[in-house]
Amino acid sequence: MTLFERIFGKKEASANVARDRLKLMLAHERADCAVPYLDDLKKDLLKVIQKYTTVKDVTIKSEKNQDIDLLEVEIQLR
Amino acid sequence: MGEVITVTSGKGGVGKSTLSANLSVGLAELGKRVVVIDFDIGLRNLDMILGLENRIVYDVVDVMEGRCNLSQALINDKRASNLYFLPASQTSDKNILDKEKVKTLIDTLKKDFDFIILDSPAGIESGFEHSIFLADRALIVTTPDVSAVRDADRVIGIIDAKSEKAKAGQEVQKHVVVNRVKPGMVASGQMLSVEDVLSILALPLIGVIPDDEKIITSTNEGEPIYYDKKSLAAEAYRRISKRVLGEEVTFLDLSEKKGFFKRLFG
Repeated sequence: MTLFERIFGKKEASANVARDRLKLMLAHERADCAVPYLDDLKKDLLKVIQKYTTVKDVTIKSEKNQDIDLLEVEIQLR
Repeated sequence: MGEVITVTSGKGGVGKSTLSANLSVGLAELGKRVVVIDFDIGLRNLDMILGLENRIVYDVVDVMEGRCNLSQALINDKRASNLYFLPASQTSDKNILDKEKVKTLIDTLKKDFDFIILDSPAGIESGFEHSIFLADRALIVTTPDVSAVRDADRVIGIIDAKSEKAKAGQEVQKHVVVNRVKPGMVASGQMLSVEDVLSILALPLIGVIPDDEKIITSTNEGEPIYYDKKSLAAEAYRRISKRVLGEEVTFLDLSEKKGFFKRLFG
């Protein structure tokens, strides 16, 4: 805190800043971390699909919408 | 059958080993048979906090690899006769643990002890996975700063994915311990409060430990702070031990007593 701030009023309490930064950060990170088995699932899925056809890529997206947890699997064939 | 409690965190240096040591002493003093295992393979440190470093002959990897009997490796703490300690190995190969061997060891210990405390390494690598795999309960330690809370959140997110109990459809009990709280800074809005941390992590609280310089001196001397009857941190550990046993204990009142100047200007 500078001398100026010390004399003429404080800036915002740093705990509030910490709380807001954390909440923002975690809202972002939790979306990625909600399905920790994502990588393994993707590998297994690829194996199964390759038994039947050729695949170019599998993308899995997890989404949270109010009360519904969604796992979107997109399989791109050749 | 004993209960397996894993003490873990995301960030390092937040007080896992200190909690493991003092919780183990606490449960032992409350009459339970306790074994505490240092799972930080390659970087042992619980031995020094417990003051048992000079009595180590064999370690946890020696037991699992069959180089010695379990009873040869277990170190009985002379101050707390119910407490046994199994040290980490100093090998540099941190992938040396084997899931099946860990399970065999823990299952054996469960027959003889009421509590098996696992002091997990920081981070989310294999050592962490081994220590969480068989947990009945996890205590997640954090300090009230942004990096520790953020990493705690990440660890909480993967505990169930790595746990045998969760795979069998049961739930690992999870509790938060907020360590190194400075009440004065919380009061002036310069430190996240316990309530802030809980609202972010969304888990029940099992302990609040005030910042206490005596922790450093007690570690220097190898005597867990639990034995210091006057210390506030020791009281916090005592209450955590009781809560683990299912007792309802109030949380410490950490609001600062206002000094003369603060009362005048404050």
